[in-house]
Amino acid sequence: MIRWLPLAALLALSACSVAPFKTESSASSAGGEAAKTTGSAPQPRSTTGEPIIEPEPAQVIEEPPPAVLEPPAPRPRPKRPPATLTPASEALVAQARAQRKKGDLPGASVALDRALRIEPNNPLLWIEMGQLRMDQQNYPQAENMGRKALAMSIGDDSTQSRAWELIAQSLRARGRNSEAAEAMERARAAAPR
Amino acid sequence: MVAEPVNSGFFPSPRYSMARRKRSAGSRSRLQHGFVVLGLLLTLAALVMLAVLNHRVTKQFEGRRWTLPARVYAQPTDLYVGQQLSAARMAAELEGLGYISLEKPDRPGTFRRKGNELRVHVREFRFPDEKQAARELRLSFADNAITRIRDAGGKDVPVVRLDPLLIGSIFPIHGEDRIVVAPEEVPALLPAALIAVEDRKFESHHGVNPLAILRAAFVNVRAGQIEQGGSTLTQQLVKSYFLDSRRTLRRKAEEAVMAMILDARFEKTDIMNAYINEIYLGQEGRRAIHGFGLASQFYFGKPLAELDLPEIAMLVAVVRGPSYYDPRRHPQRTLDRRNLVLRVLAEQGVIGAEESERAAKEPLGVVEAGGRTGGYYPAFLELVRRQLRRDYDEADLTEAGLTVFSTLDPLIQRASESAVQEELQRLDQSKRKAAHGLEGVVIVTTPQTGEVVALVGGRRSGFDGFNRALDARRPIGSLAKPMVYLAALESGRYTPASLVDDAPVDLKLPNGDRWRPENFDKQVRGTVTLVRALTQSLNLATVNLGLDVGLGRVASAFEQLGLAEAPPELPSMMLGATNLTPIDVAQMYNTLANGGFRAPLRAVRAVIGEDGTPLKAPQLEVSEAVSPEAIYALDRMLTEVMNRGTGRVAKNQLPAGLVVAGKTGTSNDYRDSWFAGFSGTHLIVSWVGHDDNSPTGLTGTTGGLAVWTRLMSTIPTSSFEPLQPEAVDLRWIDYFSGQETSPYCNGSAISMPFAPGTLLEESETCPPSTAPSLFEELLGIDRDSSPEEPPVGQETAPEQAEIP
Repeated sequence: MIRWLPLAALLALSACSVAPFKTESSASSAGGEAAKTTGSAPQPRSTTGEPIIEPEPAQVIEEPPPAVLEPPAPRPRPKRPPATLTPASEALVAQARAQRKKGDLPGASVALDRALRIEPNNPLLWIEMGQLRMDQQNYPQAENMGRKALAMSIGDDSTQSRAWELIAQSLRARGRNSEAAEAMERARAAAPR
Repeated sequence: MVAEPVNSGFFPSPRYSMARRKRSAGSRSRLQHGFVVLGLLLTLAALVMLAVLNHRVTKQFEGRRWTLPARVYAQPTDLYVGQQLSAARMAAELEGLGYISLEKPDRPGTFRRKGNELRVHVREFRFPDEKQAARELRLSFADNAITRIRDAGGKDVPVVRLDPLLIGSIFPIHGEDRIVVAPEEVPALLPAALIAVEDRKFESHHGVNPLAILRAAFVNVRAGQIEQGGSTLTQQLVKSYFLDSRRTLRRKAEEAVMAMILDARFEKTDIMNAYINEIYLGQEGRRAIHGFGLASQFYFGKPLAELDLPEIAMLVAVVRGPSYYDPRRHPQRTLDRRNLVLRVLAEQGVIGAEESERAAKEPLGVVEAGGRTGGYYPAFLELVRRQLRRDYDEADLTEAGLTVFSTLDPLIQRASESAVQEELQRLDQSKRKAAHGLEGVVIVTTPQTGEVVALVGGRRSGFDGFNRALDARRPIGSLAKPMVYLAALESGRYTPASLVDDAPVDLKLPNGDRWRPENFDKQVRGTVTLVRALTQSLNLATVNLGLDVGLGRVASAFEQLGLAEAPPELPSMMLGATNLTPIDVAQMYNTLANGGFRAPLRAVRAVIGEDGTPLKAPQLEVSEAVSPEAIYALDRMLTEVMNRGTGRVAKNQLPAGLVVAGKTGTSNDYRDSWFAGFSGTHLIVSWVGHDDNSPTGLTGTTGGLAVWTRLMSTIPTSSFEPLQPEAVDLRWIDYFSGQETSPYCNGSAISMPFAPGTLLEESETCPPSTAPSLFEELLGIDRDSSPEEPPVGQETAPEQAEIP
């Protein structure tokens, strides 16, 4: 019984603090606030990344939107620790690298397929696979592996940086130098210092 | 007798001139002359016959060595520290691979388990990247996981493969399947036993054994029918080459001559080896089991080299008549003959009498056909064959001795087969007459890599018939709806909270017909949110949305997700009037399950040639097909289908807390019942229907989803937890009104993603600022954190709304 006493006290305390207060809600956080003050329309992105004007907003807005300012930034999100490999996939990655060095690309492919079966959601393995595709001179797939790694490592700066580096390599290999430079810039920006 | 006139014909004889004078002598000479010519012709004919037979039999004998069907293996099981695998399940898996439990596991193919410790002697195996030597491993387990792997020397091993399960071969249309074994893979007992039982003079005769033929003829005459064959092993081999069981005299003579030719031209050991690889030993559907290598897998689920005395004796017993002595259908008859073989072996001194008696006490030990071991999966093999046909000729596959490493996961394949069979049997017993005798399909993939890990083409899975998974083209019903919502989200004009009209549709089609679709329950709901329209599979809201987005965009969404060709731009396409195969559906939904990355489905990981060189095989490929924001929103909406929509019944059977997403599909008049849905690591597509396309009386929920749930709840899998893209904020909205609300209002608040700065109307009855109740505060729900998880609250009663 005595164990319930602190809980009861807490209960009483929280009862006092509840209801009439208006605490900060999720809606009035940074992004939402900015949008309201500028009064701009929502800015969804098209697949090409260019902002497009929404012709028919989801919710009716009375006044016409004023000149478009900076698109609002999403709410800052927590960072994640860098991805790591389990001992099993680490051994397989080491094996794949040794095989690549010897020029045994099919062998490396088998080793990485095994690792991906063990950890399909580990972005580091997708970066390894991308590097193998570089060796195989399959540059578009090298880039795609990099993009897959990017999508899987949101919030993990060090992995994002490595994925951008891979993308930069694959672009450079295809002579798309300015895009490669941009990707390299993103790799540097993401790199944890 | 014939020899003399032939010789005299070649050389003019002095008697020749005398023949002119004596008339009688002259006619004799003409007669003689006729004999000479006839003899010449006969000899010529015999020589030609001999040459023809020689050519035919030699071609077969030498050619057969090179006509090896491609062997197809399942994925090997990787063992590593941390793997979720109990000692008991590992032991079961080893038994599935034909490993036997021994007190001292001192040879390949044996193991011993003592509680949480397991010692296994792994077989040698040539993997595509390296030849793994046979080796001993010691594994420790705790809490249903591997905690340590060491080799015989005590050194830690980070990861190691078991030899994979052989799942069949790609054999030619005439249906002969075989696994060719080299002489060194054959236990010495086998040829000895064959000689003792079938052909005791094998080592000394010249291909035929006239005495044995006479003896057999005598026995046959006495018995009044053909009972005992006097054929030598060589004759049996010849007979098997030409697949002709007619027992005419002419065939017998031809066979005898060919046997003599073989005997003259080749070594006895070569003939014995050809026999071991050629002889017919069983049948499974249209698949003929040839050779002891495959028969060993077929009957015992393990390699020939590992067979023991009673097992070898049984195979030798089966040689005499694989259908009469079928150990599965006639176990007692086969057992009697096996024991007869054992007695003969002891009589002939091949084995000791004691050994023979002991072996005779053993059971047959035959594994279930296509059951626990030595699986044979024709539907999956067909997918392998079609994928390989892109790079290889049919002849390469059926003759060149390739080894194919496939993506099949035997555990999931067996679970899939049982899920289909059990659910269809349950429906057979239901009161609904239309749901009796249904057919079913299941396809399972791992979405990240696009690997097909299981494929069931019908309820009789071991049967090589119509492969519905690949070839049944059926209307997909509401499985088409996510494509409409994807097109809407990608247009940038819609969010999950946008409102659409669930109002009557009346369209004039180009051909003059009118199209008036209805909701499943014939109700009209007015203005609904996008998320609700998809979750409850509302037909009218979906059609109005799709018409606004544009049919062109909707059609290209199918293509975006991986369908080879966009469907025709007809309004009915939005409600799934399009006919697609289950594998087409799996390809599209794999993209939904893979965060918008398209990964071409593959059933093959690697191919090696007969000499071990790596050959061309489909490679892992991905491409970003959908914007990350749109796919994230769509996937969260598909998760709601399982929380409160047409898929919610699955919750009760699935493991608690497992997050899944998916969509039901029902075609017109309940002809097809579909479900396509995924966890974090598996996509399962299931279809239930009749082959003759008659109504089933089932919706996607009562048919396809039932199979899906049964399967998803039995396989080891993990939650679907897509990572939130950078340019997205999660906000709480009301499921019904789309207004921004607080997680603490009632069960209708759901968390959905929005582009930063999206304006949302605030709920008046329960604004976003609503504080948690006392109860929730106590539970420590943090209101400032992202609303990832729905709050604790009562479920809203969902509306029943499955739409054809």
